[in-house]
Amino acid sequence: MVKRLLAGLVKPKYAMTDIRQSLLRRDALSAAKEVLYHLNIYFSGQLQNAAGPAVDNAIVELVEEFIFLIPKDRNAPQKRMSSLQELQLLEVMCSYFQEQSKDSLRQVVFSALFVPQGNEADGCRMSMLGKLVSMAVAVCRVPILDCAALWLQRSHATHCVRLAKVLVEDYCGSALSPGQALRHIVTVSPLFCCQLITAVTALYDLSTDELIPSSELLEMVVTWIYDDPGLTLLSFLNTPVPPSRPPGSLDLTPLLGLIRWCVKSPLACRRHRNPSPMPRETAEGDRGMESLYSKLHLSVLQNLMLLQAHLKENDLYGRLGLLSVEHVAKLVGELARLADELKPLNAARETELSLNRLAQSLQVAMAAGALLCSREDLRCLCSRLPKNNLLQLVMSGPALQPTHSVFYPANPPRLSPVTHPAVPSTRTTFCS
Amino acid sequence: MSAQGDCEFLVKRARELVTEDPWAAKAWLITARTLYPADFNIQYEMYTIERNAERTASAGRLLYDMFVNFPEQPAVWREITVITAALRSDCQDKHAQFLRGLFETLPGRVQCEMLLKATEQCFNTLEKAEMLLLLLRRFPESVVQHGVSLGETLLEAESIEDLESPVNCFRKLFVCDVLPLIINNHDMRLPASLLYKYMHKAAEFYISYVTRGPSADGQLQGSQEGVSLKSPGAPRGSQRYIIEGLTEKSSVVLEPWERLLDILAIVGARCEWQGDKGSRSYVEILQRMKELCRYLPSLEGETLSCCRSQVVTCTTLVLFHSAYLYVSAVQPTLFQAHSSPGAVPWILLEDLSSVFSEADLERSSSKHVHKKRKLGEGREKTMSSDDEDGSGKGRGRHILVSKTDMPGWADMLDSFRTARESWDLLHSHEALETEFNRICSSWKTDSWLWLRIFLTDMIIYQGQYRKALSSLHQLASFQPPQQVQVSSQGSLEHHRALIQLASCHYALGEYRLACEKVLEVVSGLVPQAQGPGRATEDVTRTRTKFRKGTDLRLLSCTSKAIMPFCLQLMLACFKLRAFTENRDDLALGHVIVLLQHDWPQGEALFLKAVDKICQQGSFQYENFFNYVTNIDMLEEFAYLRTTEGGKVQLELLPNQGMLIKNPSPALGLVSQEFNTLLLPGVQTADRHHTVTRGITKGVKEDFRLAMERQVSRCGENLLTVLHRFCINEKIILVQSLP
Repeated sequence: MVKRLLAGLVKPKYAMTDIRQSLLRRDALSAAKEVLYHLNIYFSGQLQNAAGPAVDNAIVELVEEFIFLIPKDRNAPQKRMSSLQELQLLEVMCSYFQEQSKDSLRQVVFSALFVPQGNEADGCRMSMLGKLVSMAVAVCRVPILDCAALWLQRSHATHCVRLAKVLVEDYCGSALSPGQALRHIVTVSPLFCCQLITAVTALYDLSTDELIPSSELLEMVVTWIYDDPGLTLLSFLNTPVPPSRPPGSLDLTPLLGLIRWCVKSPLACRRHRNPSPMPRETAEGDRGMESLYSKLHLSVLQNLMLLQAHLKENDLYGRLGLLSVEHVAKLVGELARLADELKPLNAARETELSLNRLAQSLQVAMAAGALLCSREDLRCLCSRLPKNNLLQLVMSGPALQPTHSVFYPANPPRLSPVTHPAVPSTRTTFCS
Repeated sequence: MSAQGDCEFLVKRARELVTEDPWAAKAWLITARTLYPADFNIQYEMYTIERNAERTASAGRLLYDMFVNFPEQPAVWREITVITAALRSDCQDKHAQFLRGLFETLPGRVQCEMLLKATEQCFNTLEKAEMLLLLLRRFPESVVQHGVSLGETLLEAESIEDLESPVNCFRKLFVCDVLPLIINNHDMRLPASLLYKYMHKAAEFYISYVTRGPSADGQLQGSQEGVSLKSPGAPRGSQRYIIEGLTEKSSVVLEPWERLLDILAIVGARCEWQGDKGSRSYVEILQRMKELCRYLPSLEGETLSCCRSQVVTCTTLVLFHSAYLYVSAVQPTLFQAHSSPGAVPWILLEDLSSVFSEADLERSSSKHVHKKRKLGEGREKTMSSDDEDGSGKGRGRHILVSKTDMPGWADMLDSFRTARESWDLLHSHEALETEFNRICSSWKTDSWLWLRIFLTDMIIYQGQYRKALSSLHQLASFQPPQQVQVSSQGSLEHHRALIQLASCHYALGEYRLACEKVLEVVSGLVPQAQGPGRATEDVTRTRTKFRKGTDLRLLSCTSKAIMPFCLQLMLACFKLRAFTENRDDLALGHVIVLLQHDWPQGEALFLKAVDKICQQGSFQYENFFNYVTNIDMLEEFAYLRTTEGGKVQLELLPNQGMLIKNPSPALGLVSQEFNTLLLPGVQTADRHHTVTRGITKGVKEDFRLAMERQVSRCGENLLTVLHRFCINEKIILVQSLP
C-alpha cells in the first residue's frame, strides 16, 4: 500500500482522486487510517520542497470526508464510526504523533487535521481534537501536547476556549483529582500548559457565577505557576518579536487573564455565595480559595518582574506592551461594574482587596514595561473606581525626590523608577 | 503624600499582612519596590521576610540586590557581618547553616566583593585576616592579589602587638592558613628570600607549638580550670590548649611536624633545591644534606649560597625534630603534648656500674699519661686538643638504658644520634654555622629549655665536660622556682642539673665538687623504704665489660634510681683516694660504708680494703659503728682484731666519752635486743686474744658492746643509714677529698 501511495505522490493532482476512490471502498476506520498515512507521505514530500508545505483544499476535503466523516455529496450515505472505532482511530493518531520524530511534519499533519476551516466539519474537528488532547494528557503524549500548544497559539480564541472547556471538564470538574495527569504535564510540555492557562482564563472570566474557576482548576493553575515562575511567559518567549498573531487569537500570555482572576475574584466570589447562607465547609473552602488567589496574585507580580528583566535584556523595554491598554480598560470597567453591583452588600473588604490587587497589578505591569500607559491615562482609566489609598498612590505615581533614601550616583538602582516609559506613537488615549 | 510617607505606608501594610497572608505582604512590597526602587526599607523588609522564613534562594537574591544598590546601609552591613561570622565559625546550628547557604547562593563575584568589603570594614586585624582568608580559600585567583599582603599584615601585627611567643593567633593564621595558600598557588612568583623567611616563620611556629609547656602561662583559658588541673593526680595531658584570640577548635594544629615537612617540600620545589625529591622523612633529609654537604666546597656564587641555605634550613629542622623527640622521651613532662601521668624523666649520666671493679684503680695510680695511652689503643684518636681529658670520648660511646623501663629506648637513641649528627653537620662549615646561628638567634633558641637539655646531653656525650658544666649552669637558670613544687610524684626534675653536674665533675676528676653536688642531691632525696640491692639490676649490665668508665647511662630520674647512683658516684670518688699508696683511713672508711650498698657487689673491693688495712696494721674510722651495719663486714672487722685476723689495731669508736655520754637513741633501743646468735665469733675472738697497744679493757669492752649493738642493727634500712651518712657527714666527706 505504501508503494501505491508513494506512486500517488509523484502526481498528486491525479492521485488525489484515485486515493479518494480507493478510500470510498473502505470502511470508515481503515479509510481514516489510510488518510493519516497519506498525509504523512504527502507532507513529508512537500517538506522537501523549497516552498514548504501547504495545506491545500484537496487535502482538507480528504480529511473532512474520511476522518470527520462529512459526506461530500449531500445524498451520499453518511458513514459512521462506532465509539470503539473512534477510540481506535484516536489511538492510531496518538501513536502516529508519538512516533513521528520530525517536528515539522508532525505539526503540519496536526494542522491539516485540526485547523478549523469555518465549515460544518469544525464541530467534529473540535470534538475529535478535544478527545485526542484529553487522551494525550491522560497518557502523557508530549508531541501531541506540543502540537496542541501551537494550535492554541494560532487558532481563534473561541476555538481555544472550546478545547480548554473540554479539558477542564475532563480533568477539573470530576470527582477525580486533577492532580497527577495534569500536574505532570507541566514538566513535560510547559508550553501547552502556558497556552492552556491563557485559554482557561479567557474562558473563565468571572463574569457570571458559572464562569468562576473551580477550586481544582485554580489550584492546578496556581501550582503550575508558583512552581515555575517563567511558565506564563513561555509562549511569549517562544514567539518572534514583534509578535504577529492571527486576528482573534488568544493573548500571548495568560497574564491579563490571571490578573482578572485575582482582581475580580474577591468580589465575584462574594457575589456568588451571597444569597445562600454560608455553611461552615464553604467558609473554609473560601479561605483556601482566597489564599490561592493571593498566592496567584503574587506569582503574577513576580512573573511581571521576570518579564521586565527579559524586556530590558532584549532592549524591548517600553517598546512592547504585552498587556493591551484596551484589555486593561475593559477589566477596569468590569471591576467598576462589579463593585457597583456589590455596593449594597456591604462588600467593603472585598472591594478593598480587589482594588489593592488591581493597583498592584497595574503598578507592577507598568514598571515591568508590560503595560504602556501614563499615569494620566491611568487616572482616566480608574476614575470610575471606588476610592482606594494604594490605587491613589499608583495613579499619582511616586512622589519625586524621596527624602529619606540617599541617592547613589555610583550605583544606579537596578530598577529604574516608573516614570513614563517611552510611549509608542500609535498609543490610543482612553480619556474621551 | 511624601515619598517617605508612601514608603512607610507600604511597608506598614506589608508588615500587617505578613503573618496572616505572606503572599499578599510580598505583593505589597513588590509593588512598593517598583514605586520606590531607591528606598532601602522596602527591600530590607522583603529580605527580612525571606530570611526569617529561611528561604535561601530568594533571600540570597534580595541580599544581592541590597548589596549592589545599598552598599552603604548599616543594616546591610549588619547582615553581612552576621553571615561572614557564620562563615568563620564552626557552629552547626540550623540558622548558621542557613546563613552559609545564603552566602553560597550569591554569585562568586559578589561573594568576593562582599568579603573584600567586609574585610575593609574590619578594624580588628584578626577578624580582618579571617575574613580575607575566607576570600582566599574560595577564590584562589585572589591569592595572587591579597595573599602576600595578608601574610605580611599578620606578621606585622605579630610584631606590633609584641607577642612573646610565636605561638600566637597571627602566626597561627599565617602559618597554617595563609602560607599554604600562597605557596601552593602556582600563579605566585615569590623570591627565594621571601620563601625562606616564610619557611623559617613556619618552622619557628610549629616547633614552638609542639614544644610548648604543659601550661604555658596565660594561654590556658579559664584560670580556675587551670588551677584545678594543676592539683596532683590530674593528668596534665588533658589540658585544653587555646591560642589567645582563637577558638579552641582552631587552636588545634594537627601533625605539626608533618605539616612542616609539607611546607619544606613545597618551598624546596619552589626554590629548586638540589636533588630534592620531596622526601618524606627527617632522617632521609639528613642523609641527603650530608651528601649535599660534600659538594659544597666545589660550588661557588649563587649556587653555593642557595645550596647552603638549603642545607641549613633542612638540617636545622632535622636537628630540632630529633632533638625534640629525644627530649620528649627524656623529659616528657616538659611538653604538653607528651606529658602523661606516669611519665618519668630520664637523665644522662656517667655509667658507674663498674664502680665495684678493681680495674680502674690501676688507672688512678698510673695517672694521666698511662690513661691517655690506654685510650689511644681502644678507639680512634680524635681531637687531642679538645678540652680536658674527656677528649676522644665523643665518638661511639655507649648509652646504657634499662630496656624494660623504657620501651622506646631504641627510637630515643636514634633520635639522639640523628640530632647530634645534624648538629655536627651544621657545624662542619663556618658558613653553615653562621647561617644556623642566625636562625637560632632570631628564634631565641637560647631560651628553649628543652633544647638546652638536649645540647647539654650532647655535650656530655661528646665528653666535653667543661662545656657541659657551663651548659648545666645555664640550664639551672631556666628552672622557674614554682616548677620545683609542681614536681611531685617522686620525680626529681629539678635535681636533673645538679646530678648531671656531679656526674660531669666526676668525669673531669673533680671529685670534691662531684661529691659536693651529689651530697646536695642526696639531701633532697627521701630514702626509699625498700631495702637496697635491687636498684642496680639492669639488663644491659653485660655490656659494661668493655669500655669501662667511658659509657653513659640513662637513669630514670627517681629517688629509687638516683640514690644508688649518688652512692656509687661517691664510692667512685673515694675509691681512688682510698687505694692510693698513701694511707687515707678516712677515705677507706667511707669506701667501706659505701660498699655496703648493693652488697655483695662490692665484696672484692671490700676484701681489697681489708687487705690494705691488714697491710697497714691499723685502721682508724670513728664513724664505723654509726654507719656500718653489714654483717659480713662486721664479722670481718671483728675477725681482724683477732690474732688469726692479724691483730689489727682498730680504732672504730668515736671516743669513749661520746659513746657513753651521747648514746644515740637508736643504739640505746637496739642494745636491749641483743642477739647472741650472731656473736659467737666475736666473743671467742675476745676470749682468745689479749688486747695490745694501750687499749684498755674498758675500750675492748666498748668495742665488743658496739659490735653487739651493731649486729642488732642489721635489719635497719640500709638506704636510711647511708642517707643519714651522707647528710650527717657531709662536711667531712667533702673535706676528705682533694
